[in-house]
Formats: sequence, structure tokens, C-alpha cells
Amino acid sequence: MAAPGRGGIRGPSRPSRGGILALLMLLFFSACSSTATAAAASPGEMHNNNWAVLVCTSRFWFNYRHMANTLSLYRTVKRLGIPDERIILMLADDMACNPRNNYPAQVFNNENHQLNLYGDNVEVDYRGYEVTVENFLRVLTGRHESAVPRSKRLLSDEGSHILLYMTGHGGDEFLKFQDSEELQSHDLADAVKQMKEKHRFKELLIMVDTCQAATLFSQLQSPGVLAIGSSMKGENSYSHHLDSDIGVSVVDRFTFYTLAFFEKLNMYSNASLSSLFNSYNPSLLMSTAYYRMDLYERSLNEVPVTNFFGSVMKTVHTESAYSGFLAAHDVETILSTGDIPLGHDISERRSNIEEMKEEQLRSHGWTDVLLEQLDGKNADTIVMYGLGTMGILLAISTWLSM
Amino acid sequence: MAPPPSPPRNLRRLLLLLLVAAAAAAGEEEEFTEELLLRPLPDRKALAHFHFRTSAPLSAAAGRHHHVFPKAIAQLVQQFHISDLELSFTQGRWNYEQWGGYDPMSTNYAKPPGVELWAAFDLPLGEIDATWKNLTHTLSGLFCASINFLESSTAFSAPRWGFKLNEGNLRYGALPREAVCTENLTPWLKLLPCRDKAGIASLLFRPSIYKGYYHSQKLKLTSSQSFGIVIDQTLTVVLQPDTFRGKQLHSTDGQLQPSWSMKDLFHRKLSGKCLVSKSSRVFLEIEKDVVDKIGKSGTEASWTNELFVLSTAPDRMLKELNNMDAQSSLYEYDVTKYNNDKPLDVGITWKLPLIWSCTPAPYHANRFLMGSGNERGSIALSFRSTNLHNQLFGSSDDCSIKAVVFQVVPWYVRVYYHSLQIFIDGNSKAISDVVDKIHVTPSEDKLLPGSLEMLLRLPCGMQAATLSLDFDKGFLHIDEYPPDANQGFDIPSALVTFPEFNSSRSYPETDTLLVSPLLQTFKEDSVVKSYTEVLLVPLTTPDFSMPYNVITFTCTVLALYFGSLLNALRRRIGEEERELKKAAAKRGLIPLLIAKLRGKVGPPPQGSSPTSLVSTKLLLKVVFVAVVAITFHYLSNS
Repeated sequence: MAAPGRGGIRGPSRPSRGGILALLMLLFFSACSSTATAAAASPGEMHNNNWAVLVCTSRFWFNYRHMANTLSLYRTVKRLGIPDERIILMLADDMACNPRNNYPAQVFNNENHQLNLYGDNVEVDYRGYEVTVENFLRVLTGRHESAVPRSKRLLSDEGSHILLYMTGHGGDEFLKFQDSEELQSHDLADAVKQMKEKHRFKELLIMVDTCQAATLFSQLQSPGVLAIGSSMKGENSYSHHLDSDIGVSVVDRFTFYTLAFFEKLNMYSNASLSSLFNSYNPSLLMSTAYYRMDLYERSLNEVPVTNFFGSVMKTVHTESAYSGFLAAHDVETILSTGDIPLGHDISERRSNIEEMKEEQLRSHGWTDVLLEQLDGKNADTIVMYGLGTMGILLAISTWLSM
Repeated sequence: MAPPPSPPRNLRRLLLLLLVAAAAAAGEEEEFTEELLLRPLPDRKALAHFHFRTSAPLSAAAGRHHHVFPKAIAQLVQQFHISDLELSFTQGRWNYEQWGGYDPMSTNYAKPPGVELWAAFDLPLGEIDATWKNLTHTLSGLFCASINFLESSTAFSAPRWGFKLNEGNLRYGALPREAVCTENLTPWLKLLPCRDKAGIASLLFRPSIYKGYYHSQKLKLTSSQSFGIVIDQTLTVVLQPDTFRGKQLHSTDGQLQPSWSMKDLFHRKLSGKCLVSKSSRVFLEIEKDVVDKIGKSGTEASWTNELFVLSTAPDRMLKELNNMDAQSSLYEYDVTKYNNDKPLDVGITWKLPLIWSCTPAPYHANRFLMGSGNERGSIALSFRSTNLHNQLFGSSDDCSIKAVVFQVVPWYVRVYYHSLQIFIDGNSKAISDVVDKIHVTPSEDKLLPGSLEMLLRLPCGMQAATLSLDFDKGFLHIDEYPPDANQGFDIPSALVTFPEFNSSRSYPETDTLLVSPLLQTFKEDSVVKSYTEVLLVPLTTPDFSMPYNVITFTCTVLALYFGSLLNALRRRIGEEERELKKAAAKRGLIPLLIAKLRGKVGPPPQGSSPTSLVSTKLLLKVVFVAVVAITFHYLSNS
């Protein structure tokens, strides 16, 4: 692949036929190079940070349980090590200080009132009328107005593992937001696809607790995505129990049993995702939990739950002391002196990235040539030639396939 | 790492340290003080007012490092060139009749429900609106609230004199329905050097402060060239003390005041100060009406008297400085003297049942809606005299009292300002008799809210005055309705100011070194203000599912009609069958071509030569392309 690439860069020196040739070559190789870059990117970054986006989409007091669900998850991920600045919490209504709440500034997810989920340190990033489909998609895709503060943005990168938890009322391929808008499975899939393209995550776990949650995942296509839903198509997700002091149901079944699983764990436990998935008992849930694993490469037995629900990093240990910004320029030398197995991975990754960058440069060379030629007077002829070549290629391929 | 450059760097650092030390010695220091004021209220409740002041001198503000001053605020001031800013989060409504309307507490810390934000900028007028937008976003990120809804031009206004006198550099916005809860308090506490881990802020037990009748959390920021940046963080709560613990004197007497202490209010005692605070004090204030009653009973208003006894002996007692016969008094506790072993628990125990009242504002202002239906209505603002002027100026009837009204109305409530009507004691009055000065900014649909600034001159002898303004209800676009549109839309509180009445209350300074910021704000010249109620206007809300129903039904009917009509008119069953047979017999074009290329030209009756010609041409082209590609490849390799 290197040879045509170089030719492309040298193309402008022979402008007479370079344009046509470049066009031809571009047609031949653009497809190949794009697959190559994708291949180079996929092993990609090491997992180096964790984010969580927790969304409660329901308004009104009788949906208390949805907020309790979200806050329970918020508490769990915080307990397992994700800091507040890496959690985007969206709550569609104010339940804690709601006039109907008999326990001001407290939210419970259990009748026993042992645990106040709305402790002294809750940071809600989007609340009330701000929880809309638009804002949700903006958070995922990172397309904000410039004035939006950092605390309201999902600043993840290609090394991020993201947990996306959503709860609310839903149906076949949609999730209602505040009883007035809907997020459709296509919207979700598009947003995830866009995130993948923008290198906004390495792995993404989508967990949805709503009726017919499984249908929400039907359009997902992006690799690295794992999805869990509380119920299959045609099934409802039910609440767990009613708190007669508060007067409404306080938690949903799926979330309740998820929490029951997590309560036993701490940051250092090695429970795998498959043990979480196996812990769901359809007779207790009164619905069938659904997992979509076909987009996820790793075997679930090997993946600890803290991969998504916590923030447990591999630390790279170096023998030498921190040398500030000086080190940033020659990381490789330091890594090689620090005698560790991970160093190898990193240097390999770096070389991968460099290769990828070079690849991108080459393809840029091609486009430059093409653009230059198109700017010239004979743009029409080039286009005509291009069309002709395309016809020929089509003919050849048809002929060959016969 | 890099040993050679380090010695000079160290030297420089030492020099810098020395410089900083010198600056600190010169009194240019960041300071933090914490104070708490408790006050029993006539309606058996208790008021607690937390006041934290952090100040940074300008020299420190210009640098990047801060000792106790929150960096986030310093950056905010620098980036947005703020000269004054006030942000308040309030839940509940200040009860002006019971809790007082003529003291520094009600004028400074009684705020409208929801969020109120105003800021004055030190910028050219053209840049202010853009800066305001950025500021709202920043504050919404900082305080976990939807303050960013104030960025839209329909949400904020620029009052010139009705709110606060300014040169057009002030912006004002309010969100009456914004929820206020723990998540707003947490970032507010994070601005304090000790957060809520130590000192007075450790009393803030969330469930008890959010259980209160009134809760207002405020951040006031002042920045100037002369004294740097000062932040005053205040939290005012009105709580119902747990009376189960207090001893009941007369169980039949409904008016018996509950006895309470800090433990009852906050479920906590105070064990020491925040270590970095310059001063840490607790005050207990007794209204002058009570002091007056003690005086009548013949004893001094010391901490233990005929009427009440305080749980702990105060360190000092301060009496208000004024010319009247009754003065409110203040008991001061220095938190420094208390620690974990000996926590401070300030409380009051009443010995006798007592009825007293707080001084009201000259007029009680109320606002309400009139009219019915979804088309039009009117806003009425009523003033009821409290006869305060009789006490203050004697009973001369030819005087008049000034009142300034400021109100902002969202554009979908289209107020007709020409319809202003004024009734004094039930009689209609000409506007020119009462209104001295008026400034109206009419609303523009989806662009600008309407704002009204009005200076009234009300005759002293009057008992009640009513102002009314008619309005039409507008329509919103279907996307603009909030999810709970059926609940109605809020019109933010109006502000009524009485510029001739000053609510300042000064206490003697005993220690000139340790000036109390709380008492200093009490002493400041502050005119009497009161906020009116928030109005809830029901607007016509469409049935949001109706358009979909209509579309679905119409489409179904149309599809059925046209489908059957077309079928009846156009469809020929015999023709279709023949077509089907033909299609079954026919082979595709490409298979035909292939068959021809391979020489197996079978029975086709005509046109064999053109197809063969085409195929040779095609072959030639393919060869040509291949040759071009190979040549190019060769050339590029050489």
C-alpha cells in the first residue's frame, strides 16, 4: 500500500496526467486505506478512564422510583470509584425537595429507609426542564454550545469506558422523556455511532430499566457496545415495592436486583459481568432481562463489573521519578528503562497510532491532488473522465462476477 | 532530573516567598469569617441566618493562587468583569406580616421563590448581553441549577432605576419555578474553606434545613479596585423547632412560645470554629418588642430575666443604637471558646407566655390575578397600610409615601400598560396624581419580556390602594410548552421598594479589629423592600396528542379513499396476468449478453451483430484501463 501512497503525494509534480491518474488510484485505494485505518484504530487505546451517564427521564411525583433508581446507581458508581466530575447525572424532576416528600432532602430506595440516596454530596448536572432528548443527545455526541460548562459535558476519549444508565417509561423502540418527548432506538443508535466515529469511547455499556427495554437496542451497530435491558419485547418492567410512608413505589425490580448484586461488592472485587447477568432471575424480575453481546468482543467472564461500574485502572509503575514535562517528549525511553511488561504494549500502541497518522496523511495527499485538479480549468473533463472510469470499473466488476 | 537549573529556581522561589510574606504582613490577606444569627419569631418559629464572608485583596485576586478564597469565584469575576452579583436560591415565601418587613433581615434576605440573579458588569454596554449569557451558563454549572435558562433574551431584563440605580450595566433575571435542594447547597458549601466539616457550617443538617418554612441561600459578590473581591454567602432559614423536648408551661395556652436550642433546630451542637476563620461568632437577637416588654416588667434585658432564659451565658450583650425608647438586643457568643468536649448549644427557654410582633413595612404588598377564562385577565397589585408612618412621623395626613414597583412579565402574558388603573381606598384616581415616574419596556413576542418600573406617591392617610393592569394571553409554539404546561406558567415576583424607609440597624462595635460582617450588613443603608407573590397563569394548552390523532385519522381515510378509487379506475386484471406470463418467459439483459459473449447465440431473431460490436468495444476499454493502470504503476515506481 505504501507505493501508491507515495505516488499520490508526488502526483502534483506531473500535473498533465497526474490528475486523472490520481483520481483513478483514489478510486482504487480509498476503500482499502479506510479499512486499514479502521483496523489500526480498533485495538486502539488502553482503557484509562471511566465515565457514567445516568438518566432519569420521568417527571412527576408518582415516578419517584425512577429517580430512586438513578440515584441508587449514582451512589453505586461513586462508591466504586467514579468521581463526581465524571458522572453526568440527569434528573427530570425534583423529588428530594418536592412538597409531597415527607422526608425533605432525602430519597430512599427501600422501605426500611436505611440509606439516604440524596446524601450531602449529590451533584446534579441536568435537572428539570433541561432533561430533554436534545440535551441527552448533545451530551452523548459532545455537540454543545461553547458556553456550556465542563461539568455538563461528557469529556470522554478513546480510552473511556462509559456506563449509560437510563430509566423511565418506554415502549417498543422508544423511551419517553418527561412524558412529552421520545428517544427512539434509531436516535440512540445514531448517537452511539457518532460517538464511536468521534472516538468518544472504547467500550460502552447501556443499561436500560424500562418496559420493553430490549427493543431500544435493536438498531445498535457500533462495535464495543454492550447492552442490558430489563425486559424483552412485549414485557413490562415492574416496580419492586411500595413504601407506604412515602406513598409511592420506591424502586424498580431490575434496578433493585442490580443493586442487591452490587451491595456485596467493593472496588477490589473481581466479579465478572457474566455473574451480574446471571444474577437476574426472571421470576423475581417478573420480566426477562435481555443482553445484547454480539457487538462486544471480549468474553463476559473475563470482564469485571468494575470495568463499567467503577473506576479501577491498571497503574503503570515506573522506576524513575516523575520528571514533569520533560518526560512527555520521550515517553518511550522512560518506559523502556522502567522494566515492565506493560511498556511493550504501550510502545506498540504508539507505533500503531503513528502508522495510522501516516495513513491519514497519505489519504490527505490524494484529496489535495484531486482538489487542485478540480480547481483548474479542466474540471469538467476530469469529472467526465472520472465518471467514465467508474462506468468501466462497474463493467469490469460485473463481468468478473459473472 | 535537571540539576543544573534548580539552584537559581530555588532562589527565585525563596524570593517570591519572601515577597508574599511581606505582602501578608502588610495586611493584604484573604480573610474568612463565619457567623450565625438566631432569632425567635412571633409565630412560634425560629430564624437562623448563616453568614460567611470571604474576601480577597486585589493583589491576590490578580494572581492565580488563593489561600481561603475560592478560585472558581475569582476566575468568574476576572473573566466576566463583574462588579456586583447576587444569586439567590429560595424555597418558600417570606411571611412579611409575621416575620417582619422593616428590618435588615427582611430587606436583604427575603427573596422571591426560585432563583433570582442580577449582575452588574464593568464592561462596555454592547458586550454585556453576551457576557450575561456566558455567566448564566457558568453559574448553572457551578451551582447545579438550570440558571442557563436565563440566557435567552426573553428571560432577563435591564432595569434602570426600579430595581437598583445603574447605568445600563445591570441585568436581572428570575426563574420562579426552579427547585432548590441539596445539590445547590453542596457547591455553595464547597466555596467555604472548611466546607461543612467544621465550624458553623457543620450545623447544616440537610433534612432539618429543608424541612423549614423558608429557605434562602444567597451568594453576593462585590468586586472593586479598592478592596478586591468580597463574597457574602448567606443562608436564611425559618424553622419550626421540635416542641416535644421543650417543657410545656401551660398546655392550654396556644400562644406559648416553644423553647428551643441549636440541638433542636439542627440536630447538632457546635463544637468549635473553622480553623482558618478570622472570627467565628453566634448571635441571638431579641426583637425590640420583647425587650420593651421586659423593660415594662421592671428588669434589665440580661440573658436571664422575667420572660426567658438563655441556655448559655453570652460573652457579650449588645444594644441597638437608635433614638427610640425600645431597642432590640443581641447576645454574642464566641465559638473559639468551645470545643468537642464543651460544645456550644445556644437556646432560649421561655418562662411566660408572650405575644409580640415584628415591625412591618409601611405597606403590605400583595399581587393577584383577576378575571377568568383562557383569553384575558388582569394583574392587580394591592397595598394595605400598616400605619407605620403614624408611629414614625406622627399622624399628619397631608404627607405622602413613595413606593417603587418593579415587575417583569414574560412575553406570553401581553400586558396593556395603557390600561393601568389606580384605586385609592376604593376610589378611582387619575394616574398623574399617583404615578410620579414610569418606565415601561413593552414585551416583544419571543424576544423580550415586558418590564415595568414605576414610582408611586401614596397619600399617608390611605388605607388601601390597588393597581390593575389588563393582559391578553398569548400562544406558544408547540415546541415551547414545558412538559407540565397544564400546571400553568409563573410570572416572577414583583419588587416593591419604599425608598424613604431605611431598615438599617446598628449595633455598637466593641472590637474594631474584628469587625462583624453580619452586623456591618445590618448597619448598611438599605431601603425597605418586599417581594410579592409569584403568579400562576394558566395558558391555553393544546392537547399535544391531538395533532397526531388528526394526522393519523386523516391519512387513513385518504389512503382508503384513493386506494380503492385507483383500484377501481386503473386496474385491469386480464392485462396483469398477461404481463406476469411475459415476465416469467423473459430473461435478464445481462445473462443474455453473457450468453452472446460465450458464443452460444441461440434463437434470437435479430440484432446479433450490434451486441458483439458492443462487447468488443467493452473489452477494448477494459484493456485500455488496465494498460493505463500498469503504466502509471510502473512510472510511479521508477
